[in-house]
Amino acid sequence: MGEVLVSLKGADVVSSKDFTRPMVERVFEVADEALRSPERFSGSLSGKRVALLFVEPSTRTYSSFHVAARKMGADVLPLVDPEMTSLTKGESLYDTLKMIEGYGVDCIVMRHPARGAARYAADVVRVPVINAGSGSQEHPTQSLLDAYTIRRKRGSIDGLRIGFLGDLRFSRTVPSLVYTLSLFKDVTMHFIAPPALQVRPEVELHLRKRGVSYDKVEKQSEIPRVVGELDVLYVTRLQKERFPDPSEYERLKGSYRVDMELLSNARPTLGVMHPLPRVDELDPEVDGTPHAWYFEQASYGLPVRMALYHLILGG
Amino acid sequence: MEEGLLVRKIDWGTVIDHIPAWRADRVLRLIDAEQLAKDPEVSVIVLKNVPSRKYGRKDVIKLYHHHMSRTDAALVKLIYPTVTVNYIRDWKVEKYQPELPDVIEGRVRCPEVTCISNSKRDPVVRRFRVLKEDGYIQCYYCDAIVEFSSIPDLAVA
Repeated sequence: MGEVLVSLKGADVVSSKDFTRPMVERVFEVADEALRSPERFSGSLSGKRVALLFVEPSTRTYSSFHVAARKMGADVLPLVDPEMTSLTKGESLYDTLKMIEGYGVDCIVMRHPARGAARYAADVVRVPVINAGSGSQEHPTQSLLDAYTIRRKRGSIDGLRIGFLGDLRFSRTVPSLVYTLSLFKDVTMHFIAPPALQVRPEVELHLRKRGVSYDKVEKQSEIPRVVGELDVLYVTRLQKERFPDPSEYERLKGSYRVDMELLSNARPTLGVMHPLPRVDELDPEVDGTPHAWYFEQASYGLPVRMALYHLILGG
Repeated sequence: MEEGLLVRKIDWGTVIDHIPAWRADRVLRLIDAEQLAKDPEVSVIVLKNVPSRKYGRKDVIKLYHHHMSRTDAALVKLIYPTVTVNYIRDWKVEKYQPELPDVIEGRVRCPEVTCISNSKRDPVVRRFRVLKEDGYIQCYYCDAIVEFSSIPDLAVA
């Protein structure tokens, strides 16, 4: 049974809700190895073909999946321009996926603007589907590199107090990371956002069912106190386009800004994370401090995605 | 005053009984209206706020010349657990106890407009998992949750 939970061979990576702790830890182990001895992975996917179907813009996720596949010797079929896939001409996702499968690919990495698109794709094709972002729903592989960052920086995830700040409602990285962290012991979560941008009800339901301790911090005046208690602060961009009232955005954006003044309340060991890109919510002044984990976090995209390819297609 | 005094018994059809008072319209939304309309012989009799020995007041729906699907019966029972469904054939009454479904397919639309199951291009079968202990259904694709009581608002034919 344990082996089944650990094995990702041939598996879809659709949602972090499907993860198990042994599986996540296995990804961490292989990512450690990919960092330590990347040469061991070169050529390990030779003869394999990976399709990258990106129907939404992407920089970090696309490039790390691409570079990881190339480093491991896989053929890459890049379908980044929606024109190439005819999706913009009105072709269904179903037809596009069937066409890609017909090219004899071994795996499809997909980013799509619709929530649930990855689950649907996994049902449509026989080959493994890796969700590289499904609208505002989830970004499970980002959650693996986020959790991996925490584990690398702190040695363990168990027992940590983690704050999520910014747009928690429309962020796809937040639900995935919440689901992944909920696999660890005694993790406490604080969701710092105005009511309109708070975590979605299904995320709260998941935490209640898992018995994870969490609270919602909706008053700006409470933010410094909460930040002072955290081990990790995960910041996401406030998405201007989501605000019904633009003046509300202008009012809030300053209050949800992580700068040296806010961090003067923090523990010396607090790590600040951000899935990037950032806009105004994270002051570049923070970059030079030990709190800034975000560039290191981004760099783990490569070993974590190599680990995923290895476990799904190789191993 | 029993509802029998208001409307006569039917010899063929479905009686959806013990609906909470004033909720009959919401139950009707859950019944596949297209199927009903196909048959010119069908009549729908709705009784609202009639006395009930068990519950004080209740609504009752009689579908004359129509047997509602067992799937729809299960959906109604999920939202209104007090409901009983009787199928009538030649005056004979079959008391049907619908089993609560684990999955609802086709009949409920996801409230998330950006969910793939609302795509007009793709032939996605709408599907929800039933979280019985929590009182929600959850979209199989996008994870959106819907309280049982809100299901009639999202029912599709």
